[in-house]
Amino acid sequence: MQKIKQDEKRVLVIGGGVGGIKAALDLSESRKQVLLIDSDYAIGGLMTQLDRTFPTNNCDLCTVSPHLSATTREKFLQISPMTELTSLSGEAGNFTATLNTAPRFIDIDKCTACGECLKKFPEAVRFTPGLDPRAPTCMRYPQATPYAYSIDMEKIDDVEALKAVCKAGAIVPDDSEQQIQVNVASVVLSVGAELFNPGVLDNFGGGKFDNVVPGLEYERIMSASGPFQGNLVRKSDQQRPKKVAWIQCVGSRGINRHDVSYCSSVCCMYALKEAMVTKERFGNDIETTIFFMDMRTFGKDYEPYYNRAKEDFGIRLIRCRPHSIIELPDKSLEITYAKEDLSLMEKEQFDMVVLSTGFRPSQKTIDLAGTLGIDLTEHNFAKSGTMDPVTTSKDGVYVCGVFESPKDIPETLVQASAAASMAGTAVPSGEWVEDLSLYPPQRDVEGEDTKIGVFVVDCDGEIGQSLDIDKILENAKTNPDVAVAEAFNLSCSFESMEKIEGLIKEQKLNRVVIGSGSPRIQEIMFQDMLRRAGLNPYLLELVNLRDQNAWAHNDAPAKSLEKAFQLVQSGISGVRKAKPLAENMLPTSQNALVVGGGVTGMTSALELADQGTLTYLVEKAPVLGGQALNLSQTIEGDDVAAFVKDLVNKVSAHENIKVFIDAVIAEHKGVPGKFTTGVKIGARTEQIDHGVTILATGATPNRPAMYGLGELDKVMTQLDLDAILENDESKIKAMGQLVMIQCAGSREADNPNCSRICCQAAVKNALRLLDVNPDLEIFVLYRDIRTYGFQEDYYKTARDKGVKFIRFDLEHRPVVREEAGKTIVRAHDFILGQDIEIEADCVALSTGLVANTETNKELCGLFNLPKTEDGFFLEDHVKLKPVDMALRGFFVAGTAHSPKVIRESITQAHAVAGRARTMLANKEITLGAAFATVDPVKCAVCLICVRACPYDVPFINTERHSEIDPAKCRGCGICVAECPAKAIQLRAWEDDQILAKLDGLFERV
Amino acid sequence: MITAEQKPLQEIFGYIAPYEKILVVGCNECVTVCAAGGRKEVGLLSSALRLHSVKAGKKLEVLEHTLERQCDPEYVDQLKELAGQVDAIVSLACGCGIQTVAAQYAIPVFPGVNTKFMGASESQGIWAERCMGCGDCMLGVTGGICPVARCSKSLMNGPCGGNSSGKCEISEDVDCAWQLIWNRLVELGIQDRYEELVAAKDWRPAGGGGPRKIIREDLAASKIITEDMA
Amino acid sequence: MSNFEPEIVAFCCHYCAYTAADMAGTRRISYPSNVKIIRVPCTGKVDAIHLMKALEKGADGVYVAGCLDGDCHFKNGNLRATAHVEKIKKVLEDLGWEPERVAMMYFSAGMGEQFAQGAKEFTEKIKSLGPSPASQTVGKAV
Repeated sequence: MQKIKQDEKRVLVIGGGVGGIKAALDLSESRKQVLLIDSDYAIGGLMTQLDRTFPTNNCDLCTVSPHLSATTREKFLQISPMTELTSLSGEAGNFTATLNTAPRFIDIDKCTACGECLKKFPEAVRFTPGLDPRAPTCMRYPQATPYAYSIDMEKIDDVEALKAVCKAGAIVPDDSEQQIQVNVASVVLSVGAELFNPGVLDNFGGGKFDNVVPGLEYERIMSASGPFQGNLVRKSDQQRPKKVAWIQCVGSRGINRHDVSYCSSVCCMYALKEAMVTKERFGNDIETTIFFMDMRTFGKDYEPYYNRAKEDFGIRLIRCRPHSIIELPDKSLEITYAKEDLSLMEKEQFDMVVLSTGFRPSQKTIDLAGTLGIDLTEHNFAKSGTMDPVTTSKDGVYVCGVFESPKDIPETLVQASAAASMAGTAVPSGEWVEDLSLYPPQRDVEGEDTKIGVFVVDCDGEIGQSLDIDKILENAKTNPDVAVAEAFNLSCSFESMEKIEGLIKEQKLNRVVIGSGSPRIQEIMFQDMLRRAGLNPYLLELVNLRDQNAWAHNDAPAKSLEKAFQLVQSGISGVRKAKPLAENMLPTSQNALVVGGGVTGMTSALELADQGTLTYLVEKAPVLGGQALNLSQTIEGDDVAAFVKDLVNKVSAHENIKVFIDAVIAEHKGVPGKFTTGVKIGARTEQIDHGVTILATGATPNRPAMYGLGELDKVMTQLDLDAILENDESKIKAMGQLVMIQCAGSREADNPNCSRICCQAAVKNALRLLDVNPDLEIFVLYRDIRTYGFQEDYYKTARDKGVKFIRFDLEHRPVVREEAGKTIVRAHDFILGQDIEIEADCVALSTGLVANTETNKELCGLFNLPKTEDGFFLEDHVKLKPVDMALRGFFVAGTAHSPKVIRESITQAHAVAGRARTMLANKEITLGAAFATVDPVKCAVCLICVRACPYDVPFINTERHSEIDPAKCRGCGICVAECPAKAIQLRAWEDDQILAKLDGLFERV
Repeated sequence: MITAEQKPLQEIFGYIAPYEKILVVGCNECVTVCAAGGRKEVGLLSSALRLHSVKAGKKLEVLEHTLERQCDPEYVDQLKELAGQVDAIVSLACGCGIQTVAAQYAIPVFPGVNTKFMGASESQGIWAERCMGCGDCMLGVTGGICPVARCSKSLMNGPCGGNSSGKCEISEDVDCAWQLIWNRLVELGIQDRYEELVAAKDWRPAGGGGPRKIIREDLAASKIITEDMA
Repeated sequence: MSNFEPEIVAFCCHYCAYTAADMAGTRRISYPSNVKIIRVPCTGKVDAIHLMKALEKGADGVYVAGCLDGDCHFKNGNLRATAHVEKIKKVLEDLGWEPERVAMMYFSAGMGEQFAQGAKEFTEKIKSLGPSPASQTVGKAV
């Protein structure tokens, strides 16, 4: 059992879903004591039940935090499953939490997770039944695997028989509930929410009709670990459905019994995902139809996902909210719906219907809120600060994830990092001592005959689905030096890792080939596995069987398998040449550079500075504040100007913040952890040393030349309208009719993404207009109203107050013209089936935000960072590393990442500050082993490397040969390719390794 | 440094056409530094020869080796074993190296490079002629700029009428050596030197007196003594 | 030779082209399985010899895929790679080989679609050229 030291202050994270895990990992990575509790008997939460996640359509939980070493985990992170908080007393910084841990009836120190008990007593032994065990075990906690087993003692009749089954003697029949008290400085709540149970509705047959399933159950059916082993069939007859329909907003965005008014934000994306995965995995001939009201694909790069669903996958989309489902005698389902362009009702039969249900806070969560003494919203979600999105009504208690408001995984992770960051300020970082590795000493493989283990680790069943793994292994075994070739299906888990480790030790393997996903993501994880097995991590070759084989050649299975043989052979051939390498460590600079002095940049800077980090804040403009200076109010009614003023004052007065205004980044050099950047202020350039960099350069309000903007006097943007509202109410009072046009310049061919903020901006301004001039007639011309989450309530209020929402599509665009001094908007009304004309005193275009293309391009060039196609900064992983950039020590926040409202920018600002702390707290950084080395005998002292190196690293030393400082070498290998004497090799990428890989490709085994 | 550049591949194919097994030998000195005949170029040429033979449908085996220096018999001795296995050698050394190899092995030795000149590196990948080995250096009176190597006519007493805006009449890319000399003398404040006439150059040390040789009595003698003692 | 399946090697840089290839996979955009990727830290690391060796060992086509101009993670490795590829094209021409058997391509990390397109076009090109002389000798074409 976990030993909790009473005296040590820690952060308590409640809830072991993906958000709680992320918060706990961030905190422990920042060397802060953290205790993660979950009432369930294994951590993982909702994400572990999902079959695939959008927009990558795969499971990648293992990428949450690869930089956290096992050592750090052991030292700072403790996990207590089956544990609940029963009371919290005291105050922020010094709470006492009382925790109850339910009996597991298994001694986890003895349990070997053999599974015998589960086999014999399937009724009473719990092992994440029906759930995919991989995600929690992915986290690779030593305790995770046995933790997944627990016993329901009430269902056991014969305790002795159960004890007899367990060879390890781990059964503890008299185990009892335990209560402990811990000193807690702050609390992070990440308890999520339940999904609405559609069974309570009488019109859709949820829980009644066999072939009507909620979205999550559909995921379980498709999942390889689900009830049908990943086979998509109808419950009623086990037949593959030919026609599947999704009904959106079931229980959400409604006013009927059991409905909630808010939008759950994720269902549109998951329905699209499920429909696409259905076609992709189970047959393109399956007809998929989604019934929806508004398609809410407002996230970063989600709109192209929607477009792909429509255009590439042929997902049928019908804009209608069907009233009910009727079950037919053959258990098929009949849906009656109205087509927008017809005045008739249509009837259509489907084999299966999926109900897209949203989030509901559970009663348990509501009770927990009571225990904690935090306020809830009218929807029973945790009440959080409108400009302080992860703080609750109680000091020292923070909230993240769905319990704060409905959101998807990336946004949950952002909030988790933000909550962890804020909660972490109450706990000091553990003293930094050079980590004594817990890894066993590395075996010296010098002189041994090559003995290779080939392992196909099929993390999410994706490889086995299109490639015959047995054949791949058989083929690999024909190499005489391949001693073991095995497959591990369905998990990149601790379990299979442990098995591979066992095989490495047992068989004395000295080289390992892993066929799995992309090495870009998985290399660190498998290198870590080798370390644990006592092997040098560089005696490893990864073969990208998933991303670059199984996924890319679905159309040609035979050829795809042939390629898999070749790739694995290439890996085997390459690994034979692999050598054990030592890694290079470098102390990091403890300063931070924040680029961009808007709300995001200032918030990040303040949080870092508050924790003692010297922070340089660079702003291009002559004043701090950024785009928020053009905004007067948020939809919740916060005074933005006052907020910004307060921020500016705090930043300007802070002793740890050095502000540069009228300043730009002019030059940049260094290595991760230790950068020097030249900031140009007028004619002067100041050099700054920093270990982390936060990009908060914001975005630019779009001003597209559309609908008469810039030509007609009465056409303006929402920001212009905001200014009038703020400064000239008389103008508003004089207006009779006002038209807003949504998606102006967004969701168009040249800017395909949704700008996310415009729907709420339109609703916000509409409500403010009506406050000033209640008689004003407002028309909002829209394509989909995307007032996600609780914004939906404002949308409803606007409708209630008489704002008229008229939909258009790209074939029926509104036209704005001036005629006899009047501004007239012509629009098509789908319901009337004809064009209408509105005389407008003002036409406000919702123009959204576009990337700061010039600035971003310049910064990406200087810092060597990637951008998205539309010019925003590209994060490392869209789902699981939403604010980290590919280059270590670089983070992105706010609208530089993608368009978002201020509140969301502030969340990201806290999140990046937290992520930055994780790096600063570890005072050195591993630079890896891939640096160039010179063979002095071969070196001809020609200077070609000295001249070719992009970073001026090589020099001719006094011993008369070129020398490369490993700490400065970036590992590009340019000198290697240029050296005319072939005297330089890049470690881990040596020429003979590359040639051996080529050999392997063309070897016929 | 001696500079060289690779011969046209066609010429090399022609040389080796009759042979089935050859050795490509590089040199880790000057030709490596000017990227014409080091280990990398040996690899590239060998690959090219192999690809060519495949295309031509003929059998060809190519061995690769690079010596520390090809113009010393002791280093060239190291080829003994490899040379015994092949029908011919392609040397990527300068002419000196090629001849040293040819002198030591009784199989055909072909040049893989054209030896160009004694030059200096201007920047990465660019070399320019600086010395013609005239045997009687006059850089001391020409401000450190050699009129022998750098004047198209090797004039000794100022430029010809072809100087136009400081460039030589043969090409706009070629500086007039005497312009450079003048500028340099002015820079050093010793332009009086320009007035001093240089007598007609004795070209015998430049090779006009037949093949040249240097004998360092002290070094050569000690070798003779060592041999005697042995 | 209508069923000729060329062997194609693509040297892809870790930061851009390899990521683009992953992206193509993630988005399930198909491209010919003829293309086998060898990951390198930067295309500037791809020695001209490696291109020749790939052809020697039996590749019918080889290409180097790096970052877009100006996007190289190591400043200008992609431009060096371009120069290496150009040089090898000339060598191939001298050898009587089709210089089109080697190529340079550029992708940003997000260009999965374009990566697949590039792979497709290059494979088509090599198919139209037929097996390379070396791959015929190695006796493994078709």
